[in-house]
Amino acid sequence: MRRIAIFLFLAALPLRAAPATFATRVAPALEKHCAVCHGAEKQKAKLRLDSYAAIVAGADSGPVLKAGDPKESELHRRITLPPHDDDFMPSDGKPPLSALDVKVIERWIAAGAPESAEFDAPAAPVVRVAEPAAPDYLPRLDQARKLATTLGVRLVPRSRVTTDGLVLRTASAPRQCDDALLAKLAPVADLIVEAELSRTRVTDAGLRAVATWSNLQRLDLARTGVTSAGVAALAPLAKLESINLTGTKVDERGVSALKANPRLTRIWTFGTPVASSP
Amino acid sequence: MLDLPQVPAALKREWLELETRRHFLGRGSKALGWAGLATILGRSAPHLLASTAALPDQRPHFAPKAKRCIYLFMAGAPSQFETWDYKPKLAAMFDKDLPESVRGGQVLTGMTASQARLPVAPSFYKFAQMGKAGHWVSELFPHTGKVADDLCVIKSLHTEAINHEPAILSMTTGNMFPGKPSLGAWLAYGLGAINEELPTFVVMTSKMPVRTNVQALSNRLWSSGFLPPEYAAVSLRAGNEPVLYLQDPKGVNRDVRRAMIDGVNDLNRQLFERVGDPEINTRIAQYEMAFRMQTSVPDLTDFSDEPASTWELYGEKAKEPGTYAYNCLMARRLAERGVRFTQVFLRTWDQHTVLPERIKVMAGESDQPTAGLLTDLKRRGMLDDTLVIWGGEFGRTVYSQGTLRPDNYGRDHHPRCFSMWMAGAGTKPGISYGETDDFSYNIVKDPVHIRDFHATVLHQFGIDHNRLSVKFQGLDAKLTGVLPSRVIPELLA
Repeated sequence: MRRIAIFLFLAALPLRAAPATFATRVAPALEKHCAVCHGAEKQKAKLRLDSYAAIVAGADSGPVLKAGDPKESELHRRITLPPHDDDFMPSDGKPPLSALDVKVIERWIAAGAPESAEFDAPAAPVVRVAEPAAPDYLPRLDQARKLATTLGVRLVPRSRVTTDGLVLRTASAPRQCDDALLAKLAPVADLIVEAELSRTRVTDAGLRAVATWSNLQRLDLARTGVTSAGVAALAPLAKLESINLTGTKVDERGVSALKANPRLTRIWTFGTPVASSP
Repeated sequence: MLDLPQVPAALKREWLELETRRHFLGRGSKALGWAGLATILGRSAPHLLASTAALPDQRPHFAPKAKRCIYLFMAGAPSQFETWDYKPKLAAMFDKDLPESVRGGQVLTGMTASQARLPVAPSFYKFAQMGKAGHWVSELFPHTGKVADDLCVIKSLHTEAINHEPAILSMTTGNMFPGKPSLGAWLAYGLGAINEELPTFVVMTSKMPVRTNVQALSNRLWSSGFLPPEYAAVSLRAGNEPVLYLQDPKGVNRDVRRAMIDGVNDLNRQLFERVGDPEINTRIAQYEMAFRMQTSVPDLTDFSDEPASTWELYGEKAKEPGTYAYNCLMARRLAERGVRFTQVFLRTWDQHTVLPERIKVMAGESDQPTAGLLTDLKRRGMLDDTLVIWGGEFGRTVYSQGTLRPDNYGRDHHPRCFSMWMAGAGTKPGISYGETDDFSYNIVKDPVHIRDFHATVLHQFGIDHNRLSVKFQGLDAKLTGVLPSRVIPELLA
């Protein structure tokens, strides 16, 4: 919903010129979208886009900038191709630059690509940035995927927004997932925002590991062997919003213990000893 | 050798993208020259040999509200007058002629175009406000009325098609011409499986409660169109064996079966090496899926673990394989196991004649299991991320087709407005959206084209409908097509 609201707001917003500089508007966009492959760690095409000097230096095939002429600048061409074009950047489905970022880069090049002088650029919209759900998963995504594959579960990004966290998915083979497995997820514990553990072999012992997943928002424990004692250990999960205890042995004691979790608003207890399940 | 300076660079690029290994090798001796062309165009050979059916980035564009969808498709088009679009003023207009100003010169179908009169037919059934939200609910839906506060009712859907086949295709694929991927296939392609042991997209067609005005259903409605075939639905049969030949014959154990499939897969891989047809890989994938379903399906269809309350919710008919009630329960079991998209078809809502009697049968078939499914999903904590949709393919006319009596009339097809509802997965509960005129003939407020409806469904799955596209026939083809469409924010919580 917020996304739509922002979109409509942008659409209605006149592209008002406001003073901007390379450091305030161009560098952050390049850092966010390009530096993964053209930065300190990787230098694809021998190009770095993480400093003014490096951008001016260009790639192995030549300069990427023609000051004053966006249309003749490879940097601009690559980010304005159709997204399915093989030359489109960022490549491999990485999140593209926003229309606003593209416009800013175009204006910057048109203004002569100044290193520190101001240029006219569309105003940055005032957007209230939502609290990130988890740390950026991108640097650890390969590690998380390998770990999950080794263990026989899946860790999938909740979305392309790299601070939206990972979802722990076990539905393909729930009976392979047990307490010991959960403990082995420690290296990516802070990335897990949602854990689908229904029908797994998880018991109270496993919940001690889950209790360390500090960014967990949603936890599905339906038809597992957990009890009130185990659920009480989840108290440290300050971001937990919903927990599904359908078909478990959790009773009133477990539900009252969960009252300590400040954001927990949805608790499902169908098929448990908890009286008058909804 | 070949040099084509007159061909624009963009066209060369596209040509190369569309070339596959199949074409390359099928061309025999000419392939070498073609490879030379590739060199001229500045491409390395491995790229040229790749299939065009690359796996998409299956991360949603933004955090989704829906993980799964259960689409209860009321094929044949339920009348809005007896279901969700209460029109009290019609009672006083019984047998009056539909004003020409309302019809606005609309072309009618051949079924009523030759009628001398278009007499107004009020609903035979009464309505009452139900729930905190005060939805007007037809007396035909007493069970659904009890869960009315969970419903997001849309009374202003509209479509172009006036006949069933194109209209159902429009609802299921976004296009009235066959050959396009269905909504379920787009979701499977765009998001991938939650449970790899079961199909991502499942279709069930229900036993028909009546045998008049039967509309054919075909796999065009759940096809993968131009997407890779593995994204088409697996259709579960109505019967004791929902998937044929899943049971191993006598004397064939799992190891033998495994060895056989490995052997067939080897042969298929050799063929793929030779001709590179991506459909061969789909075939391999289907063998593997069938093997996995040998263990996942029996557990799915064994209802002995259901508590007694299940039968109270869905009704006793849910014990009879192939009924709509059974399919609703099966849809919940599929959703529990992570099937993304389940489409249940219930046919014979096409009441051109004897509508009051026949719609009562249909509503009776649909009402309790539908409400039971909603209640069941809710109590199990699944309505939060399962989108439930109930509706048909177009609306019906305010005027009677054929003889009009207070208790007997028929209604013809009407594409200009119809009603549906959604529930769960972040849709706004307890609201009614869109308004029609007093005759439910034209939309007077907040129209929702089926493209908008599709865009909204995809949005709940974290997908921007403008960005989920594949290149086909020179277009970036997408579910919502090329005409304007938008997510309807008022439908969302």
